[in-house]
Amino acid sequence: MNCSHPMDAAVLADYWSGALDKPEEEAVEEHLLSCDSCSARLGEVIALAEGVRTLAREGSLRMVVSEEYLKRIAAEGLRIREYAPPPGGSVQCTVTQEDDILIGRLTANLSGAQRVDLCICDGSGNEQLRLPDIPIPSAAGSIAYQESMTFAKAMPTSTMIARLVTFDESGSERLLGEYTFNHTRSMPGKGAW
Amino acid sequence: MLIYSVLMYEDLDDADLARRIGCGTDREAEAALFRRMAPRIRLYGLRHLRDEQAAQDLAQQVMITTLEALREGRLREPEKLASFVLGTCRMTVLNQRRDAQRKQRLLEQFGADMLTPVWTAMPRLDHEHLARCVQNLRERERAVVVMTFYAEQTGEEVAGFLGVSAANVRVIRHRAIHQLRDCMGVAQ
Repeated sequence: MNCSHPMDAAVLADYWSGALDKPEEEAVEEHLLSCDSCSARLGEVIALAEGVRTLAREGSLRMVVSEEYLKRIAAEGLRIREYAPPPGGSVQCTVTQEDDILIGRLTANLSGAQRVDLCICDGSGNEQLRLPDIPIPSAAGSIAYQESMTFAKAMPTSTMIARLVTFDESGSERLLGEYTFNHTRSMPGKGAW
Repeated sequence: MLIYSVLMYEDLDDADLARRIGCGTDREAEAALFRRMAPRIRLYGLRHLRDEQAAQDLAQQVMITTLEALREGRLREPEKLASFVLGTCRMTVLNQRRDAQRKQRLLEQFGADMLTPVWTAMPRLDHEHLARCVQNLRERERAVVVMTFYAEQTGEEVAGFLGVSAANVRVIRHRAIHQLRDCMGVAQ
């Protein structure tokens, strides 16, 4: 049976995550209980949400994460390895088979910054990846960057440099902090990119 | 003959099935309504109970209550079946610890063999493809999606992290959901 008022998948995602107010939620539920096609679409949204949860648990996403995210990870019994090199400094680091999540804690004065980019560079300082316009936690003096655990576990002994940059009014880039991670491979094998 | 009968019932809308059940003991209509409604109720159960087995149990209990009401003619306006089922869902979730013996007795009364729904499995996603799609989102979109679906943070909590309003978080989440579905090749 076709639906005369198909529900937007994004609204169904709001419903699944409990983001609708009560009247909206009731209207969605009453519709879902009379509509197979929208119920099927909700099934797709649930599969998507579950897929995202799995990716988060695997620690395979490169992203800036919140403290609540890290609390949730810890509450699930997952093992977090965290390094916090000082701005302009370096840290010796590694990952083991038992680690689930890898966090680089980057301290910087972020106050007043409208846009901050996180640049991931090789040991020579050549930019390999840029995460533009990262979330800047309000009233925080640092960001928690999650490196892909899949990537880190495959990584050979090498150096990675992270840079936080912002932009002045003329659009010129300004360095907020540079952090060097000297990674020593402790996983079996030589590792490869 | 049975296949013909099933097809005929599948063509009827929910209200027509409810009317047939209310007119007497039309077992085929009851079975057709059960097949149709139980998977929908299961989704309600998953949303509120976050447990597959509990959601399936909820679907069975709600359908038994619904069929009982239809048989006894307690639903005067069959067009409002969804509203009745929603109310029953809410009551049942509030009163989950039901008497197991009563459930068994009702199952026997209504015929457990007839009232066995075929649960539709959730769509399977290509995990590697999804990882690429999530990674390709903008930073704030990825943060909103992960904080919503994994950390189960509210719009206000996510807004606090991003330094934007809760309404803005909703806009970002909507855009991200559409992009993910587009990237995964799912029709909007």
